[in-house]
Amino acid sequence: MPHVLISSKKCTGCHMCELACSAYHENAYRPSVARLFSEVNPTTAAIKGHTCLQTACAKCQEVCPQDAIVTKEITVRVKGDYPSLEKNGEVVKGYVLVVDEEKCTNCGECYDVCPTGVIHEHPEREVAFKCDLCDGEPQCIAFCQNPHVLAVDLKVDRMDKELQA
Amino acid sequence: MDFYQGKVLRIDLSKATSAVEPLNTDWAELYVGGKGLLLRYLWEEVPPKGDPWAPENPVILMSGPFAGTNVSTCSRLVVGCKSPATGILNDSYVGGSFAPEMKFAGYDAIIIQGESPEPVVVTIKDDVVSFIPAVEKYWGMTTSRIEEAMRRDFDPAAKTMSIGPAGEREVLWACLSTDQFHKAGRGGHGALWGHKKLKAVSIRGTGSVAVGDDAKVFLDDIYRIHKEYVLTEDNLWAHEEGTPVLAQVMSDAGVMPTRNWSSGTFEGVENINSDSFLKIRTRNRACYQCAIACRQFHQADGVAGEGPEYETIALCGGNCGISDIVALMKFNAACDELGLDTISSGSVVGLAMDLTEKGVHDFGLRFGEVEGYLKAPELIAKREGIGAELALGARALAAKYGHPELAMEVKNLELPGYDPRGAFGMSLAYATSDRGGCHMRTYPINDEVVAGTLPPDTLEGKPQRIVWGNPAEGMIGENFSAVKFCGIWCDFWAITPEQIAQLFRHLWKREVTEEEVFRVGERVWNLGRLFNLREGVEPDDIPKKLYEEDGAHTTGASAGRAIGAENFRKALQEVYQIRGWDENGVPSEAKLAELGVDVRL
Repeated sequence: MPHVLISSKKCTGCHMCELACSAYHENAYRPSVARLFSEVNPTTAAIKGHTCLQTACAKCQEVCPQDAIVTKEITVRVKGDYPSLEKNGEVVKGYVLVVDEEKCTNCGECYDVCPTGVIHEHPEREVAFKCDLCDGEPQCIAFCQNPHVLAVDLKVDRMDKELQA
Repeated sequence: MDFYQGKVLRIDLSKATSAVEPLNTDWAELYVGGKGLLLRYLWEEVPPKGDPWAPENPVILMSGPFAGTNVSTCSRLVVGCKSPATGILNDSYVGGSFAPEMKFAGYDAIIIQGESPEPVVVTIKDDVVSFIPAVEKYWGMTTSRIEEAMRRDFDPAAKTMSIGPAGEREVLWACLSTDQFHKAGRGGHGALWGHKKLKAVSIRGTGSVAVGDDAKVFLDDIYRIHKEYVLTEDNLWAHEEGTPVLAQVMSDAGVMPTRNWSSGTFEGVENINSDSFLKIRTRNRACYQCAIACRQFHQADGVAGEGPEYETIALCGGNCGISDIVALMKFNAACDELGLDTISSGSVVGLAMDLTEKGVHDFGLRFGEVEGYLKAPELIAKREGIGAELALGARALAAKYGHPELAMEVKNLELPGYDPRGAFGMSLAYATSDRGGCHMRTYPINDEVVAGTLPPDTLEGKPQRIVWGNPAEGMIGENFSAVKFCGIWCDFWAITPEQIAQLFRHLWKREVTEEEVFRVGERVWNLGRLFNLREGVEPDDIPKKLYEEDGAHTTGASAGRAIGAENFRKALQEVYQIRGWDENGVPSEAKLAELGVDVRL
């Protein structure tokens, strides 16, 4: 199933992905509520990316007592038509995990189990928020404008690839 | 209010209090942000003709309207004060992530006034401002250690602006540091913070920056702008090679300061040029919200870190006769940790070497000798041994030993890495720079040496270029750099006036012309001139050997070239005429009215 991954080796630490993510979902730039993040140590320049692995992980869905983490069908189109990028226009079909805000009670069980720390309580709406691949147009990938390599990339699970084959 | 937060945080260190004030929106309209808005606040906040060391002299941290958005390079912060080194305006720019964090915390600007009785660290978490005693605990820390301490003690995501040991001892060219390798380098902000007993400001913001009713419209346009204008050959040289590429170019052209400006050609440049740095390059990093990623990391025997950039290679390398790349990296790393500006450090150490070699006074420093050279930064930062005298700065040190002609500075700011004797336009750039010896306000050497589109050995036609630049060929004039620094765009995005107009359309929600863009720049430049005249600026001049006939180099590509004192003065007058200033460089009432400058002398 499609999910976004940040390559810690390729990432330059520009945080463009977090900015674009928050602008898309919050209608204003607010990286503190971005659905992914890149942790940068300014002294050592070491980087660690944190993203949602969607159905490849699904820990949040497993523990949710309200069944508020819903599996949704999605078609992802990668935007990123720079000369150096080959992924432009790539289409991947699959499933993504989204929060049903009607059902979510903000109980916090998913916050505790998320292995990458990317599902949180929304500061105003008081429900969980997480990556939904921007309804199929991931802004993080579009704005990963690292000149030569795509650090924020779309990955598909191996099992899923085998199934499709 | 889109893009702006509409709030200014005022910190009084004397009383350990803070207050939130509304941003002056009339000023924001006239002067946009960054440099322009900073100068307007300085005009208001600096007591006229006051002592720069006085508690009332503020330090202002100003963001640009695009900080905290996707607009590449606009994460830059400008720090401003009346400089204790030059006595005039000092706007110093720094990348990293501090300005966006300041915006997310809810502030366009932070005004710091007063003087703390004891060393202090100020922490800001959104609207909570705290004054933390720094004595024993933080005072004395190097810049990387204080940043680590703030991430540990205050907030793991804290962004910190700090001084190192050099600032604590008020060394005149002590700088501010953020994200460890980023420096608001020039003009002695670090000294002023040290005098105010301010070790660091650490900030964490969780709020938002609004860009309009539908952020997706803005997002889509920035996507286009990046694709068309940012990720292009014009800019990506900074990612591929970075400024070390200039070392070979400048030495070959006879304009790389060598052995305290006694030559423009450095015979050891092959060891510290771009090819040499590419061999030890480990990775690229970016400032916050920047797609170019020009920060080059290097690793060599026992030393690793970002940089050095060309200015450091020139002043701390060639100017000290140092061609040992490891020694140069160690010197650079020491300056980073101690909080010293490398341009001034290399200039002063080169001067001390010159005085030693000429037999004037033995500082134990000689051109090309690594041992004494590597000890110098710490001695300067701690004002110990020879450092006590070196910390005077180039002008005072040279004067003390009876050789003022050996100090390479303008208005008591040590000169960067371009010798005007091989690129005549730089003489005017240095003389007219609004903060003293600086290459960032206009960069005629781009045309004269890098692109080769203008002859380097004449001042003919240069005054026009200094003021207005030649954007079509990529040369930046003073008026255009002034508006760029309002954005605050970095020089590594070779942005055009038309592209700035496209971005101002989002800001002002209306059509914007290139003329309007230039007008903002010219307005800001005139405001800066008024500020400097009010505070009592020295006459515009540069070290005489850079233009007098007998100062010409005898070797290298620039050998035998001299601007001539008369030609220099004539060209300077031409600059004033183009600007609508009188023969003393005072803007006319008609010019100020035309530009809508809202203050008068």
